[in-house]
Amino acid sequence: MRRFLFAVSMTFIFSSLALAQFQPSGTVECIAPANPGGGWDFTCRSVGKLLNDLGLVDRPVKVTNMPGGGGGVAFANVVAQRNDDNNLIVAASPATTLRLAQGQYGDFSGEDVRWLGALGADFGVIAVAADSPYMTLDDLIEAWRNDPTSAAVGGGSAVGGQDHMKVLVLAKAAGLDPTSIRYVPFDGGGEALTSLLGGFVQVFPGDASEISGQLEAGNIRILAVLAPERLGGALAEVPTAKELGYDVEWLVFRGFYVPAGMSDEAFAWWSETMATLEASEEWAEARAQNNLGKFFRAGDEFDSFIKAQIQDLRQLSTDLGLIQ
Amino acid sequence: MSQRLSDRIAGVLLLIFASWYGLTARSFNVNFIADPVGPKAFPFILAVFMGLSSLYLIFKPDEGPTWPPFSVWLRIILVVISFVAYAYMLVPLGFILATTLELASLSLIFRGPPLRSLMAALLFSLVMYALFAFGLELGLPTGRIFSFLGV
Amino acid sequence: MEVFSLLAQGFAIALQPINILLAFVGVFLGTLVGMLPGIGPINGIAILIPVTFALGLPPESSLILFAGIYYGSQYGNSISTILLNVPGTASAVVTAIDGYAMTKKGRAGPALAMSAIASFFGGTVSVIALMLFAPLLSQWAIRFGPAEYFALMVFAFSTLSSLAGANLAKALISTAFGLMLATVGLDPNSAVARYTFGELKLFDGMDFVVVTIGFFAISEVIQILEESSKGQQVKSALGRVMISSREFIKSLWTMVRGSVIGFFIGVLPGAGGTIASFVSYTTEKRLVDRQNSFGRGDIRGVAAPESANNASANGAMIPLLTLGVPGSGTTAVMLGALLGMNITPGPLLIANNPQIFWGLVASMYIGNLMLLLLNLPLVGLFVRILSVPRWFLLPAVAAISFIAVYAVNNSPFDLLLMTGFGLVGYAMRKTGFPLAPVILGLVLGPLMEKNLRRALSLSGGDWTVLFSSPLAIGIWILALASLFLPTLVARYTVIRRVDSEEDGEID
Repeated sequence: MRRFLFAVSMTFIFSSLALAQFQPSGTVECIAPANPGGGWDFTCRSVGKLLNDLGLVDRPVKVTNMPGGGGGVAFANVVAQRNDDNNLIVAASPATTLRLAQGQYGDFSGEDVRWLGALGADFGVIAVAADSPYMTLDDLIEAWRNDPTSAAVGGGSAVGGQDHMKVLVLAKAAGLDPTSIRYVPFDGGGEALTSLLGGFVQVFPGDASEISGQLEAGNIRILAVLAPERLGGALAEVPTAKELGYDVEWLVFRGFYVPAGMSDEAFAWWSETMATLEASEEWAEARAQNNLGKFFRAGDEFDSFIKAQIQDLRQLSTDLGLIQ
Repeated sequence: MSQRLSDRIAGVLLLIFASWYGLTARSFNVNFIADPVGPKAFPFILAVFMGLSSLYLIFKPDEGPTWPPFSVWLRIILVVISFVAYAYMLVPLGFILATTLELASLSLIFRGPPLRSLMAALLFSLVMYALFAFGLELGLPTGRIFSFLGV
Repeated sequence: MEVFSLLAQGFAIALQPINILLAFVGVFLGTLVGMLPGIGPINGIAILIPVTFALGLPPESSLILFAGIYYGSQYGNSISTILLNVPGTASAVVTAIDGYAMTKKGRAGPALAMSAIASFFGGTVSVIALMLFAPLLSQWAIRFGPAEYFALMVFAFSTLSSLAGANLAKALISTAFGLMLATVGLDPNSAVARYTFGELKLFDGMDFVVVTIGFFAISEVIQILEESSKGQQVKSALGRVMISSREFIKSLWTMVRGSVIGFFIGVLPGAGGTIASFVSYTTEKRLVDRQNSFGRGDIRGVAAPESANNASANGAMIPLLTLGVPGSGTTAVMLGALLGMNITPGPLLIANNPQIFWGLVASMYIGNLMLLLLNLPLVGLFVRILSVPRWFLLPAVAAISFIAVYAVNNSPFDLLLMTGFGLVGYAMRKTGFPLAPVILGLVLGPLMEKNLRRALSLSGGDWTVLFSSPLAIGIWILALASLFLPTLVARYTVIRRVDSEEDGEID
């Protein structure tokens, strides 16, 4: 059996080497499914620049901003109109997979594209103000257990969106009724964090990259990180939710999908290119600058990772009553 | 015909619009953790607000404007048709061709000299394409009909 | 005082030859980009970010370039607003009211000059205010919670009656229409789709550019088509280009008040330039408009929103740099650029990186000054745009509008929407519905609804939360005063109506 697997994997490696003859001809395009300034835009622009700097493509990468429907417009455009484009990558994150799982892209599903790879990740955190009475995650959970309205949550996404999901999952893991906790959506993490500082909300379920400025200034306290293991830097002392006995992780990968009709040769080239990029010093630098953690998956491994994630999120959303 | 007819018609149309707007809002149901206000309240308030204002307009209309004569309406309709046609032609014909045609027809509707209108339209389209596609890196359509050229 | 030496250092950096050159390039490019309605500075800055990385420019120099583009495009936007009645931003919608009226009276030159001067004035006042209050201001921004924001929106709408023409009902309908347009799309709170007809393209709502270009540019094209058919000539007499010292003195206090209002509103994250220019305009109309000349080409109607808008851009640096909350698309891109330079916004930024903060302030000021120096001499040239033959000028305006609208979502669907709004806008103009309240409703409506719902979510449905803080109560009192005071004042004072020869009515 082992020999057979070995043979299969060798065949795979050789065939992928053979297939890797592909090289993009013409201009490579990266679609950021949002306006300039956000995470998807950053993903496209920094990776586009690196592709060019490292000489992996011969012409500068064209970045197209295609906002609309929380990424849905870009998704529909890729599936319907550019399904066989070998020179196209589209920025993605769990905002994409969560919306797909919750059916917010109309009739489209995660099967309609191919998931190329992720080059880094951000992790969810549970933050409170520095003068908050909640010193530990247990304090907060206990307070919620006594009175679910005692600590209101303000996040940067709509009801059922990423920031809300973190709280719902946490409450579920703690054996609370997730829907009883007050959640107030703001326009982005910055506004939610400002409301936390103003005392209008008591909990901010943000991402590690969003809170570094306020953390440094001592204005907020992080009760837990929603990562598989402790993060580095200023967050090194903060326990993971898992250590505290709540089995909750929220990984915000930064990656790409490509058209489902992309040729296997092209897909193989792109997967390898992702690996080259990820291993480069320049990317490590860009990652550090943007407070992203190390996380790498590419090719078929990533494709199945995402498809499983969408399944999980759909199950979770159904369990929570978000979707029927 | 009353001098104040325009406002009365506007009032009636707005009243119909407000009613439709308000009735549509009834279908905005949240099946998961609704906030105390919900997505319906604001549209309802707006519908009532506009409904009352349009009733006022029906009963207290202003002097109507002088509407343009038919010949002018004809030209306005031509302009609007050209806009709609442009929206449908832009992707198939590509920016340069579609815009040249649209600009030239608009210039003619504005009674520009024919030959100069066409020349100016072509020149302006080219300049705009260069400026936006290369200068500002906006993805303007190149045209599906040219796809055989391999562009 | 330490602040002065830091600012002096900032200026020392900003005044290096390379940086002055960058400021010049930025202002020049920005003016060009800004003149194209709806394109705005975002694209310009987004494209230049990788260029600045590639050139290896230090952070301060890149920021100077961006600030130049920002200011340049604001001014370029004023050019298309004043000359062609095509505003590209919500704050310019207010400038359009009197700016375009001045153009119709053949006074485009002074309107453009005033726009540049008022912008510079607003920039100057707000730089001084930044020096004096910077550390305190992030505290002021934090105090604004959902209830306070809701009260602020009510206040903004309460001043609306002064924008109304003869018929208040029509202004109310325009506002309601704008607010209704704002409800199209996914409900920001519950993610329920409203008025989208299942069309994915409408899920993000009506884009500001599509609506504004439709209501202003396209309806203007139709309107002028009608006027030209009647053989009417829009006055395009070039006339005097500079403002007179009398006009400057007349507008001085307007600019002072506009700058102060703009600065303090600009500090509130998310509110920004729109409310600032709107409130300063309505305030001035009530305070100084004794001859009912606002809306008919009063130069103070240009001075107020332009100074407020520029001052608010400086004020907005506070939430951007200390809270990491961008107030507009442009500042969002600048935030992205800062992050790329390894500068993390936060409360410690001013303390830890004073050279960045004060360098930014200085560079914005240099950008402002450069704008004045570059554009004042060019006003005469800009005004000549009006002497381009109409058969070419109006189609050209239409073509640029198409590009702007198409570029929003890369979608021809928006062109159809734009055409529809153009027709509605034309009908509204003919029947005397004001257009500016539509845009204000569109921009401020979502803020109003969201904050009301946030406030009530937090209180669990208890309405008293709206009046629970002294700050909120204070704003409510302002709103009530602005609603009822004018009628009371009018009842007890006799306003002498003077017809001045300069500001005579025009129709």
